[in-house]
Amino acid sequence: MASYDLNEVLKKREQEKAKSASSGPGSSSKNQEVDLGDVSRVKVLSPGRQVFKRFIRNRLAVFGSVVLIILFIFSFFGPLLYPYGQKQIFYKYDYQNVNYALAKENTGYNGYDVDSSVPVERSIVNAMNSNIKKMIASGTEEMSVIGTDGNYVIRRELPNIYTLSSQDLTMVCGLGDSNVKIGTWSMIGKTFTFEEEEIPGVAQAAASIKGASGSFEVDGVEYTFTKGEKPKTFDVFTVKSGLFYTGNEPGGDFEKDLKKAIDSNSTAFTSGDESYSIVSHGSRQDVYKAGESRIARVYTTYTLDTFETGMKVSDDLRAAALMAATTDGSFSSGGSDYTIREEDGELVIYDADGKEYAEMNPFSVRRYSGEDTMAYDLKKAISAKVSDMVENGEKSAVLTAEIPVQEENGSYSVDENGDFILNETEMRITQRLEGEYVINCDQINYVIDMFAAPSGAHILGTDGDGFDVLARVMYGGRISLMVGFIVVIIETILGVIMGGIAGYFGGWVDNLIMRLVDVFYCLPYMPIMIILGAMMDAIRLDTYLRLMVMMAALGLMGWAGVARLVRGQILSLREQEFMVATEATGIRIKDRIFKHLVPNVMPQLIVTATMGLGGVILTESTLSFLGLGVKHPLATWGTIINSVSSASAMAHYAFIWIPVGLLICFTVIAFNFVGDGLRDAYDPKAKR
Amino acid sequence: MFKYTTKRLIYSVLILFFVMFLIYVLMYNMPSGYIETKARELASRPGATKSYAEWLADLNAQYGMNQGVVAGYFTWLKSALTGNWGDSWSWTIPVTKEFHNTVWYSFILGLVSFILEILIAIPLGITAARKQYSFVDYFTTVVSMICISMPTFFLATILKYIFSVKLGWFDLSGMQGRNYMNLSDFGKFLDVAKHFVLPAITLTIINIGGLMRYTRTNMLEVLNADYIRTARAKGVPEKKVINHHAFRNTLIPLVTTLGGSLPSLFAGALITETLFSIRGIGYASYQSMIQGDIPFIMFYLAFISILTLLGNLISDLLYAVVDPRVRLS
Repeated sequence: MASYDLNEVLKKREQEKAKSASSGPGSSSKNQEVDLGDVSRVKVLSPGRQVFKRFIRNRLAVFGSVVLIILFIFSFFGPLLYPYGQKQIFYKYDYQNVNYALAKENTGYNGYDVDSSVPVERSIVNAMNSNIKKMIASGTEEMSVIGTDGNYVIRRELPNIYTLSSQDLTMVCGLGDSNVKIGTWSMIGKTFTFEEEEIPGVAQAAASIKGASGSFEVDGVEYTFTKGEKPKTFDVFTVKSGLFYTGNEPGGDFEKDLKKAIDSNSTAFTSGDESYSIVSHGSRQDVYKAGESRIARVYTTYTLDTFETGMKVSDDLRAAALMAATTDGSFSSGGSDYTIREEDGELVIYDADGKEYAEMNPFSVRRYSGEDTMAYDLKKAISAKVSDMVENGEKSAVLTAEIPVQEENGSYSVDENGDFILNETEMRITQRLEGEYVINCDQINYVIDMFAAPSGAHILGTDGDGFDVLARVMYGGRISLMVGFIVVIIETILGVIMGGIAGYFGGWVDNLIMRLVDVFYCLPYMPIMIILGAMMDAIRLDTYLRLMVMMAALGLMGWAGVARLVRGQILSLREQEFMVATEATGIRIKDRIFKHLVPNVMPQLIVTATMGLGGVILTESTLSFLGLGVKHPLATWGTIINSVSSASAMAHYAFIWIPVGLLICFTVIAFNFVGDGLRDAYDPKAKR
Repeated sequence: MFKYTTKRLIYSVLILFFVMFLIYVLMYNMPSGYIETKARELASRPGATKSYAEWLADLNAQYGMNQGVVAGYFTWLKSALTGNWGDSWSWTIPVTKEFHNTVWYSFILGLVSFILEILIAIPLGITAARKQYSFVDYFTTVVSMICISMPTFFLATILKYIFSVKLGWFDLSGMQGRNYMNLSDFGKFLDVAKHFVLPAITLTIINIGGLMRYTRTNMLEVLNADYIRTARAKGVPEKKVINHHAFRNTLIPLVTTLGGSLPSLFAGALITETLFSIRGIGYASYQSMIQGDIPFIMFYLAFISILTLLGNLISDLLYAVVDPRVRLS
């Protein structure tokens, strides 16, 4: 039979008709007559168009296709137009009960430089707090501290005010075993200069000194020597016990006073007009005569509150004020004069005009962050309330006070003069530790916008991380659809190869592959996916990597069905004539399978693939919902629902999970409808 | 028939052997040092009866994971065949005991939803086929499609939201109410039954769609068969045509598939049981899986593989029993 293309014939007829129409009206009537048997009477559609026509007659299939097209546009083009990203966190200003302020009894001593030209050792400064506490504990007024290169005196000036002075001390005498310098040996002059009386034999023995230090013995007494201050000189020492003087004896009642001081265990005493201090070194005490002392720093537990809110006060002023408090009370700092007076256990500073300038008191009220920005009245009100609490033995109390009003964006409202606008606010004072109180109140804070209800800015609201749900639904759709397609493609490719080989070759190859198919059919894929997910959790696999592992695993486990389908079709197809023809024309086996057999299985493949897509999307979303599939920052529909899966979140934030769940349903339904429609369109007889 | 059955049985055992091998390979490739870590963890558990070395020796003796894959697999197979499935790591009791504790809950849940499924799906499917292209038909088609496409977790969440949160009729999850211990025996039974309502509904809805579609398709096929046309031409009353001629023939594929799914009633519902905290085998195995409890996982996977193979076997045999035209060879 000669080849006869119906469409060619039809085209030719059309052309002839057009020609005759143009040639003249008279000749047309003859050609238009067509007899009943003429093929051109029947308009024939190509197989593809036939399928298409049957497909669009199915309303459910068309509905499914429309849903899918909308979904694809939504997921793949939506994010391009939508302003938010999937990991963009949103913030808002909101009232929050915050720790507003902290009120506490100061126990630590803060130091301020009085005279910065006086050098003070770091270690002494660091030990000040513990030294002061030691003094308070033993009730001493004065304490000597010997540093590595200087001597210091801590003196109690007033309750809560201590000064640290650097003092020139000269050693007067020692008590107990002590190394006493007896003289200096000069190698150049070969002379021995004794500090006191000459000791016979020492000078001769010293003549043989060598090296940097050492010892020698004269008459059973051991002498040690070290290099002296001048070159080529040696200082010679010996151990003496009992009381010995290193310089001139003070005379008078000194020894009596010293004995009294040592008996009473005090570290300082006066004798005559001089004051002395005693420093213990184990079994030995050294007595020093106090020379000129210069106050370096002043220490106090007082904190300074200015009457004007938020005014910065220099440390110099604090130091000057504290020092003045110990004397007549007037001082000047920064070019202005002030006076300081004690009133009711507080030190009040007045400026030159006699107006109250600031107040120092051992109870400090500060913002929780430590800033001193609170109004004086507020501080006073809080400390008054706290002392009430202490009196009544209460652990917490409520105080209504005026605090600055905040605007919507968290900044403070000010009037035209730049002053804060105040508003009555309820504050709760709670005792946290002994002498430490926390003040809570509502403040506008910049917080993550969690679980915001749907609004114009966020059409589906935000989730627990402050992510925009709609943006995540779009990006999630991308991943869910992509996972579906990739898995189905892997499945189909594997299935076609295995099924094609099995069906074409038959025999033992077929047998082997079909047994493999049986094994894979029997594998419980959901448990295996859960185990894989848990394993990937254990090794903390990267999010993208585990996405790929998941797709590969799903694809590997799903090919058996496709292989079975392809094999069945090929078994019947390979007996047909066209396969004999391919064999006769010597086409390669590979081409015979994949170019002549597989295309004939295409319709069934497309149908199973479409139906399979829905299934894969279901599996993926279930795994992600369980937290074993795609992981958190990456969005998929399953993870979005997972983020609100706890009982309370589920009950309160239905606006998040219901739309997403419906979307999953719609997608799977659409794929199933389209698959059904395609099957009916390809093979209308199958169903009937 | 006997010969066919024997052949299929041998076949199934062979398939099971390879399925379990694949699963063993998966377990074998658990992150390195997993067994050692697990042994250390088990030994340091409060009330642990074995030391680290003992646990390690135990685990290696049973799972052979210190040997090669193949040798290890045979070690495991040997201990499994002698009934030694080991102690569960997450439940700290013998695997088989945990299985006995849980499987009956799963079976009851499965059975209830199985019966509901049959009672609802088959009549609806048949009605839809009888009145093809009617409203009932479209309704059934769409509903069954929705049931098929509904993710279990979404359906369960919706049911919980409506019936537990909004209406407050049921508890959100769990198997016993707050007052369980104070109830009489019958009260206890009712309490547990109440907690099974939502899971049973979930399972029924999830599975109903497929059966409905299957029934409809098969009924349509039968209704279009020549013998139905003949019966109608002979003037047999429509009622008799449907009930005697069509329905009986529709039963052939239905009975085979339903019979084939009988073993899976024991398999438990992994997701549903987990979401509703029903202490069935699905829940137990899910917990074991996420905790890497190898003994229980191996047991459970072997169990459901056997159930699957058994189901296939039953449905093939039933096919021959129900349909006298089929000859087995």
